Amino acid sequence: MKMWLIMEKGARIRFIGHLDLMRTMQRALRRSGLPVRYSNGFNPHMLLNAAAPLSLGMPGLREVIEVPVGGDIAPEAFQERLNEALPPDLRCRAVRALPDEHPAPMAMLRAAQYLIELDGDDPGAAVCMSALPGMLAVDVLPAVRKTKTGEKPCDVRPMIYSAEILGPRTICATLALCEAGTLKPDLFLTVLARRAGVEKPGAFITRMQLYAMQDGALTRLEEA
Amino acid sequence: MNPTQERAIEKLLEKVEKPARYTGGEMNTQVRPWDEAELHFAFCFADTYEIGMSYLGMKILVSLINSLPYMSCERVFMPWVDFRAGLKAEHLPLFSLESRKALSEFDVIGFSLQYEMSYTNILDMLDLGGVPVRAADRGEDAPIVFAGGPCACNPEPLAAFFDAFQIGDGEEMMVEFLDTLRECRRQGLNKNDTLLRLSQIEGVYVPRFYQPEYNDDGTLSAFRRTDERAPETVRRRILKDFSNAFYPDTFPVPYTDIVFDRIVLEIMRGCTRGCRFCQAGMIYRPVRERSMERIIALAEQLEKATGYEEMSLSSLSSGDYSCLKELIVALMDRFQDKRVSVSLPSMRVDNLVKQSLEELSRVRKSGLTVAVEAGTQRLRDVINKGVTEEDVIRSVSDAFDSGYSTVKLYFMTGLPTETDEDLRGIGDLARKVVAAYYAVPKERRAKGLRVTCSASVFVPKPFTPFQWAAQDTIETVMEKQGRLREYLKTKGVTFNWHDSELSFLEACISRGDRRIGEVIYTAWQDGCMLDGWSEHFKYDTWLKAFEKCGLDPAFYANRERSYDELLPWAFIDMGVTQRYLQLENERAKQAKTTRDCRKGCNGCGLQRYEGLCNV
Repeated sequence: MKMWLIMEKGARIRFIGHLDLMRTMQRALRRSGLPVRYSNGFNPHMLLNAAAPLSLGMPGLREVIEVPVGGDIAPEAFQERLNEALPPDLRCRAVRALPDEHPAPMAMLRAAQYLIELDGDDPGAAVCMSALPGMLAVDVLPAVRKTKTGEKPCDVRPMIYSAEILGPRTICATLALCEAGTLKPDLFLTVLARRAGVEKPGAFITRMQLYAMQDGALTRLEEA
Repeated sequence: MNPTQERAIEKLLEKVEKPARYTGGEMNTQVRPWDEAELHFAFCFADTYEIGMSYLGMKILVSLINSLPYMSCERVFMPWVDFRAGLKAEHLPLFSLESRKALSEFDVIGFSLQYEMSYTNILDMLDLGGVPVRAADRGEDAPIVFAGGPCACNPEPLAAFFDAFQIGDGEEMMVEFLDTLRECRRQGLNKNDTLLRLSQIEGVYVPRFYQPEYNDDGTLSAFRRTDERAPETVRRRILKDFSNAFYPDTFPVPYTDIVFDRIVLEIMRGCTRGCRFCQAGMIYRPVRERSMERIIALAEQLEKATGYEEMSLSSLSSGDYSCLKELIVALMDRFQDKRVSVSLPSMRVDNLVKQSLEELSRVRKSGLTVAVEAGTQRLRDVINKGVTEEDVIRSVSDAFDSGYSTVKLYFMTGLPTETDEDLRGIGDLARKVVAAYYAVPKERRAKGLRVTCSASVFVPKPFTPFQWAAQDTIETVMEKQGRLREYLKTKGVTFNWHDSELSFLEACISRGDRRIGEVIYTAWQDGCMLDGWSEHFKYDTWLKAFEKCGLDPAFYANRERSYDELLPWAFIDMGVTQRYLQLENERAKQAKTTRDCRKGCNGCGLQRYEGLCNV
């Protein structure tokens, strides 16, 4: 059996990197005494599997981390004991028990939803907000993606599933996040600012939800 | 912080290196809400987060203070240059990790003094936190600023900046100090009366009640009290029941990498060996052990509370712990299933048994570090380091035989009476260690021999038999390091050496008097800070600071003192008497060793305290 842990990484610890966060999870699981399975090797370690690392500086509200378990334990009890062992800014919001054959969260992940809150005192923010509908109306959005091998021109329009205006300076965007193609919210904002003709405004970005694709529609990863 | 400041901090965090240094929230660091504490304590460490969080004393004291029902203790570290510049640019104060309160909002500010070359950081942190740096400039409403830790045994260089010092073991003194402070607050006492009350606590020194006077040659002529109610001699505080003294049952677990990221169990305080250069060996006397039962109980609590996979047994000389083997076996048996490894730093090679190495390697192999200190038996006798060449070779041979291939050898240059022969001896010993590796059959030894020889520069310290000695001049040190480099040109051996300029300034400050405070202040004003970090160390600025203050650094570092001279720290009774230190210094000159005092009392002065010294 394995568990999917639906985790919230709070704003206070948004600067904790992925590897540090995984180590924090491992130590919390050790403290909890929960029946987590280790790898069989010379140096046994916990087999934690995160759906996708969070960018440094970004909180995440419904992150999915998979952990294989050995004993028989109810998800509710698992969640309770894990929360007792976690620091206050890292919370387990739900636990889902799955058979080992279930695909790994990373394999199912297709997109993520971000809450983008533009800085109120940034003059470019309002211009960007009004440029959003126009941007969504076009079919092709050329941009330059920075990858490990250099800069690559690409079209980011197909990677935007939706982008809604939630408030005077708040955008909720669902963007592609998978091996085939990822649009980071930062690049989304760069493209938007360029179309608006302003410097990219400062923004506080939170990852709200992760999605899988089922029957041609985006479905919450935690339920997929 | 108001919302604008909070936003500015968040923006700043996005721009700096390692922002997690400043965000707190780690496991086991949660404190009382701000409004629920009567007194607020800012525990300051004058170096970066990674260094400070590795320091056991801070873990003990922060936890102790937070255990008092009326206290709240939060942590403050020295910010790195980028964050510091951002704080200044945005007019933000240096703040605590827990509640993000400016240093100036606390009632008490306590610094831990670990290293002389972090003193400029202290001034910088106070200034960044909105607290006037000089005690005399702080009004009635300003926080009480005090310090403790090993460097407090010569508090004089910092006398102008601190209201008080705690000298000696903190576990009981801190509680008395804070209880008294709270009582004074409740009675509405002014600062002077409060400090006078605090000065009555054993171990507490309040510099404003004392005044030094100087001779024409710059030496001290007198050290007088300005208030007869303050004690004439400040007696170091010594914890009597070490075994049952306060020890945290939880440790903070940092999110990010720190220097020592593990459970630390202090198994013993003090050391009986009597190495003559070693300040810790003198100022933490007498030796006191924690019982095995208590250590095991603490180990279990801490493992549960932290989830750490490593614990280390800490003391000045762990091999001297009377039931070390039983302790290691007991810990191993208890924690092996949980994959917790046990490590043992501070082992002396003269009692390092092969078996304890094998016990340790049951879980994980690490390198072996041997503090040899000097290259010849003669010089090792001068410093009373009771280690022989046979000890060293036997222990490294054992280590190589048990599968280790990395060995670190620590030496000092510039020890009193050092000659070229002693330097050559370091090279010879390194070659013998290499030979010991090749003497192990090829199929038994691990591949990749690495012998690292590190040579630090000897810094004479107060309350050691060498407190009167002259430090080598920088020129001599560099010339000796050059020779050593030649002597250590051997395949498989790497040579590291310390910065001679940094060690020179460390020597100036560690035996400094009150006037050195002006040099520290001037150096800081002229941009010195983070001196312990080579990329920020500004030697020339320090020299200019001495010049501006009309003081000669060589007077402090390179001058041999006579026994008649009134030393700036003489008003402190550290337990070990000045007479004993003189005696030891004389024996050193004759290369006569002094026995480990477990084998019989040497009369160091601790015997004056009834029932304290049980060796």
